Order: sequence, then structure tokens, then C-alpha cells
Amino acid sequence: MINLEQQNELFKLIGESLKNKIECYVIGGSAMLYYGTKGSTKDVDLVFEHYEDRKKIIDTLKSLGFKERSSRVVSLVYVKKKNTPIMLERDETRFDLFVNKIINTALSDAMKERVKSLYEYEKFIVKVLAPEDLIITKCATERAGDRKDAYEIIHSTKIDWSIIIKESIYQAEVTPYLFPVFLFDFLYELKEDLKADIPRKVLDEIKKISEDMLERKLKRNS
Amino acid sequence: MKESINQILKELEGLNTIELVQKKLKVKKNTAIKKIHELRKLGYVETSGGGKQPRIYRVSRIKIQKIGNPGLYEIINQNSPIKLVKPYEHRIINKALTIEEAIVKAVKSGNFRLILASLALFNKLKNWSRLYEFAKKENVRRKTGALYEVARAIIRVRRMDDKTNRLLLNAKKENKYIVQGLKSKDFQDIEKKWKVYIPFDHKDLKRYRE
Repeated sequence: MINLEQQNELFKLIGESLKNKIECYVIGGSAMLYYGTKGSTKDVDLVFEHYEDRKKIIDTLKSLGFKERSSRVVSLVYVKKKNTPIMLERDETRFDLFVNKIINTALSDAMKERVKSLYEYEKFIVKVLAPEDLIITKCATERAGDRKDAYEIIHSTKIDWSIIIKESIYQAEVTPYLFPVFLFDFLYELKEDLKADIPRKVLDEIKKISEDMLERKLKRNS
Repeated sequence: MKESINQILKELEGLNTIELVQKKLKVKKNTAIKKIHELRKLGYVETSGGGKQPRIYRVSRIKIQKIGNPGLYEIINQNSPIKLVKPYEHRIINKALTIEEAIVKAVKSGNFRLILASLALFNKLKNWSRLYEFAKKENVRRKTGALYEVARAIIRVRRMDDKTNRLLLNAKKENKYIVQGLKSKDFQDIEKKWKVYIPFDHKDLKRYRE
């Protein structure tokens, strides 16, 4: 587990080691540390826009004593998923490094524009995705703890649900997945099981979008 | 207690004036001020405005961690009469952003309002050689020199030393547009000297003359 202070120390080390500026987006529990909605996280999830940037961070982390985990370990954490990250681990800290796609979600331009905060650690620039986008990225990963994290985000932030709905439609356009279907299941369970404060109107709207998409897909296939 | 703070935060989330806080919480003005003061102490409120402008309180249920030092937008807002809305919280870890670096970052951004507001920073500038080093690193030497002259035409700015002036002017291979597509009608002499296009006319700089 890693808290904000320890994460800062690590990012500082990375920033000091880099020769050129590298930007990345922080998602998941690491992003929640910046919002103060979580005290510690198991893994540091970073998304890069370029493979070469990820490669440089992998090299830097290796020089700091991190070891790359085998694909077998990755597939145990992300069961039957595509666009899985490269994982590096040292002691109790794990880095999950993605490039542009986070499992079923694409890092969209709108997400990049909605960034809520930017931290410069020398040459390492870390951008924190908006709470709405954290929910979007969490809804497709299906990892233990993602539901609880999403509940925490909804509980402690004013969520603009129109952003989530719009983004899910966009994700369905740019990825091969029926994103609103995942989103509906995810939010429905959050509301039913964890009593998350999600307006019924929002769930109805996403359900309608999901049904329309499924219908269109069935028509195309028949 | 925690629940009651959450309730108040839920009610007030977003932008508020003190009158709006009074109305939302159905309390007297003194109580509203006290509540805002308490929430600010806990880190849930950011204040802007004041002086001639109405005081605006931005209330948020989440506390974005203000680690490190102020970033570009905060530095500009502290030093310029033209205030900017922060598109995001910008923090610099491990070091403080200098005025010289802030000017260069603003020039590099290519953002009209950001550059306009950053002109005021030339007034606070102390280290010309540091300005040159940053401008060289980001390849905005001519642009920085030209904007210095624009700033000098509208506000009190210390004279740049000859060496820095010469070095900035000697820069080659620099894009001519400070803001893509914008040229000046009023600063053509500066444009000609520095071989870059100034994005401002006199009317854009009116705020500096008030």
C-alpha cells in the first residue's frame, strides 16, 4: 500500500531521474489520493499517450529497484481482459502502466481536457483525471475494490452525470465495446448493493441508451 | 459533526456569494460568514475577488491536495491585474516557480489570455539571464523579447540589460506567431524588430492602463 506522501516521494525520484519531460495521466486509487477521497492505494495507475514515454518510465522504475511482473501475474489481476498494463513491483508498491487504453476504456480528448489538477515533479508531469472519468475508467476494469472506490467518489463529490453519459456514448463509438451496457451494470450494482447516490433518472437514461445500442447491434448481426 | 459538514457542503457546492450562502443555509449574514470561515479552514473553500469586485466563494466537497508550490495560474493571478480562471489546479513539487520561468511558460502556451495576463510579470522580473536561459530552453527567445517591449510600452518595467537583449534578438528558427493566426495593428514596429507577430492591439491592453 502507498499513501500520497509516499507516492509524491516516488514521483519526485522519477522526475529527478528523467532527462526529458514526460507527461502521464493518473487514474484509479492514485488519483483518489490527490482528491483526498482515499488514504492509501495498492497500485499506482498511470496512462501514457506514447509507448516510448512508458518505456522510459519502465526503465526509470527498474533503475529504482522495481521488477516487471510476468504476463501470467497480469492476467491474474485483470482476468480475461485486453489492453492490460505493464506491471512493475517493489515491496508493497505496484505500478500499472497503460498506454492510451485502460482495459475497455480509451483515454479520450475530452478526458484530457477535463483534467482537474496537474503536478510537476521536475520532468515528470502528472495530470489527474476528473472524478467523472475515474468512474468511467473504473466501470470496465472489474477489479476488487473498484466498486468501493467508485462509491467513495460518488459519495464525496458532486458528479456531473451528463459527462458520464456523454463519455460512455463516445466510448461505444471508439472502442469495440457496448460501453453504456457495462456502465449501466456497474452503476446499477452500486445503487442496489452499496446504496450509492445515483439519480434514478440517470440509470433510466443509460439503460435506454444501452437497450438502443443492443437493438442496433442485433439488427446489424441478423 | 462530520455528517453536518457534509450536509452543508452538499448545499453550498459550487460558486457562492455571502448572500447566496445566507439564502441556501437560511442563516443571518454573520453566521454565513462564520460557516464559510470554518469551511475554508478545513480546506473546502477557495476565495476569489474582493476589493472592488464581489467576493466569490468556491465550495467543493473534495479537497484537491495543495502539495508543493503554486503553479503558473496562481503566480499570474498574484501578480497581474488581469485575473485568470484556473482550468485546473497546477502545483510544482520540489521547487518554486520563478517569475522568469512563469513568463516563459505563458509565452510557450500560445494562449492569448494567459500571455496577456503574464505581461504584468515583467514588472516583477529580477534576473534577466535566468529569463534568457528559460526562453532558450523553450525556444521562445524572440517572442519573449518582443513581449517585454510590449509590456514596457504599457507598464513600468526595468530596463533589460544589453547582453540579454542582444542574445534574445539573435535567436533563429523560431515560429513567428506568439498566438497562432494573430497579428497586431498597433505594434508593427516591435513586430518588425523581433520578427514575430504580436497578438495584441492597444485596446486589448486597456486593463493595464486603468
